[in-house]
Amino acid sequence: MASQTKAEILADHESNSALQAPLPAPVARHVKDLGADGLLSPLDERIIAAASEALEAGQTHYVDVPGIAALRAAIADALNGATNSRYEAGNIIVSAGVQESRFLTIQMIGENYESIGIPAVTHPGVQKALGVRGRNVISLPAAAERGYLPPIDAIAEIVAGGCRLLYLESPSRLSGAAYTSEEVGAIAEVLRDAGAAAIWDGGLAPWVDGGCSALASTEESPTLITTIGEAFPGTGLASWFIGYIASPEDQIPAMQSQKQIMAICTSTAAQFAALEASSLFEEARRLKLSQLAQLRSQIAESAAARGLAVIAGDAQNIMALRVSEEAAAKLRGAGFDFADGASFGAPDIIRLNVNSAALEALRALD
Amino acid sequence: MSKKKAQGTNLLYQLIGEARGYDDVIIMGRGDPDFDTPAHIVAAAKDAMINHHADSTPPEGLLALREAIAARVKRVNNIDVDPATEVVVTNGGQEALFLMVLAVLSPGDEMIVPEPNYNTYADSLRFAGGVKVEVQTYAEDDFRADPADVRAAVTNKTRALLLVSPNNPAASVISPPDMRAMLDIAIEQDLIVIADDIYDLFVYDDFEHVSPASLPGAKERTLTLNALSKAYSMTGWRLGWIVGPADLMARVRELKAAISGGASIISQHAGIAALTGPQDAVEMMAEAYRRRRRLVLDALDAMGIKYGLPQGGQFVFADIGFTGLDSGEVAQRILTEQHVLAYPGSAFSKDRKDYLRMTFLQPEDQLIEGLERMKVAMANIVAER
Ligand SMILES: Cc1ncc(COP(=O)(O)O)c(C=O)c1O
Repeated sequence: MASQTKAEILADHESNSALQAPLPAPVARHVKDLGADGLLSPLDERIIAAASEALEAGQTHYVDVPGIAALRAAIADALNGATNSRYEAGNIIVSAGVQESRFLTIQMIGENYESIGIPAVTHPGVQKALGVRGRNVISLPAAAERGYLPPIDAIAEIVAGGCRLLYLESPSRLSGAAYTSEEVGAIAEVLRDAGAAAIWDGGLAPWVDGGCSALASTEESPTLITTIGEAFPGTGLASWFIGYIASPEDQIPAMQSQKQIMAICTSTAAQFAALEASSLFEEARRLKLSQLAQLRSQIAESAAARGLAVIAGDAQNIMALRVSEEAAAKLRGAGFDFADGASFGAPDIIRLNVNSAALEALRALD
Repeated sequence: MSKKKAQGTNLLYQLIGEARGYDDVIIMGRGDPDFDTPAHIVAAAKDAMINHHADSTPPEGLLALREAIAARVKRVNNIDVDPATEVVVTNGGQEALFLMVLAVLSPGDEMIVPEPNYNTYADSLRFAGGVKVEVQTYAEDDFRADPADVRAAVTNKTRALLLVSPNNPAASVISPPDMRAMLDIAIEQDLIVIADDIYDLFVYDDFEHVSPASLPGAKERTLTLNALSKAYSMTGWRLGWIVGPADLMARVRELKAAISGGASIISQHAGIAALTGPQDAVEMMAEAYRRRRRLVLDALDAMGIKYGLPQGGQFVFADIGFTGLDSGEVAQRILTEQHVLAYPGSAFSKDRKDYLRMTFLQPEDQLIEGLERMKVAMANIVAER
């Protein structure tokens, strides 16, 4: 006999379209996969050595829910160094990847607010995290002209209308466009005047040449701004699933308690790997960034030569292009994968990772 | 200075925090085996760092690991699953637990929970907006959940029945006839069974563990979790799984992607090594727990402390009602005065203020010393009365 209870569960599921948003792969699945979220990088021998040493020394047990103390401090230091924020170790929760950071912040900080303002174009993981337990979402317009960053007056408008929590990406996870420091200042002022809070996904900030302004740097001490991202990207940690939440102290207990409920802690080996990565990160990042910047301008030229519109972006690791359905099909036919803008909320756009295969992909369009 | 009275999980973390301050502390609280992960598993992780760190994983986990899990649940639990569609790898049993509750319960739905039980079920239910309907079990019955009580607890809002066997903290194992009766109720009342097999390799004396999903008619309505944490001493790797029917597992997969995206590739390769490699370390650890359990029970008997016989698991739930104190206070005094950490029953259930959970997850000499110290603390408490 078929189960009615099960039928009800499955019907609930099918009606929840947010939960079914397809996510980009965390790491490239093959050499022609240009759609993954994680940067493909070799794992430095020093990271292998440090993680192995920790494991061999018996670091195979549970650790503290918010993460090992030294890593929390290293993450705070790295954020403060890059963005002038003022986070301390106690403001940090080590997460099992940036998607867990999205989920914990949207759900647990979101619990304290009646609604959450979300750009119409964001990483599909945002929709997915929202889909688990419905929240009242106010959509922020986001257009290609500004790289899908919601305009300041649209932000001001929803805040004036009573929305007290925003979720923003800078750089945009689709285009790589980042808010300027003036824009960040203006957002901060809107928030401050209304006592509103924000979750700020700054995960792609390390890939902006010359640095990237962060909302957290506008606060004297962390009071309303939570920053999320992946831990030390570009050091080969993508497939280890390790990310962070940097949040005002009063937001930490609810997220920490939820982290305990859903995971107990983040993988111990991954934390020791990330701790070692913290000391290699800055040097690796600079090197990688200059390589990426060079490649990206070549790819942009190649796209322009083929009459493809590049969406303006600042992060050097990705590029968003406007392509016809035929061109997208052609890419797929040639074995290339890309992140489909449709799952971000921008149907005519594709996102390519910046690497040499992207040049090849564009040639496949000829 | 007035210290706000912590409760539940917060109370546990307060005690753990204090315990950390004592150099000579003996931990009989946390469910973290003292053994380090076996060397061949660590070696596999190291190999994965060199050769597989850039592998990509789908949210449900690497196929090779899902195949190893399917083989394991067939071998140990007699559950048939298709690794392609009926297995999802999780960040430990904890994430599996959270996902199972989220997958099945919507706001207002009820889940029947034999009590006492692992407190994260209540926490996860709260997140999902579900309602816990308790069925009480008692030390004098060795914490047996009576199927008749379960049947009586069913309402038109009941969606799920939780079966944790061996149970944490009660250490009871659901007998084969009781398990059949529980399944009959689930089928008759059209409930989804949420099964937690995390302690399935730790069953004592002549008790027998049955996975509910292995019984005829059960698989289509049962989600089963397990993890490498307890059996392989891999708590820090955060690796577990859920198996179940393909239709429900499709929902579990989407939820897994939504809450954390995937599981660490390094841990997944370690998991493959654990499940497919030599199993002698597991047997060695299980044997150690058998000896330690005897040792702890003998010590409790000598102190005249009653308990429900631990039929499985890695702990005993002991009745300290004779002290006249709340278990939180008793745990606090044992810790502060004698530097022994045991978990208060009140952290598991508000109705279990008379109990302490003590784990066997320390070397024997430490356990002996811990029990000696506990005896002193208990004698002091009793003398004051
Ligand atoms: C009954 C039960 N289920 C699940 C878990 C979660 O274990 P882990 O997440 O470490 O695999 C535990 C941990 O103590 C448990 O006791």
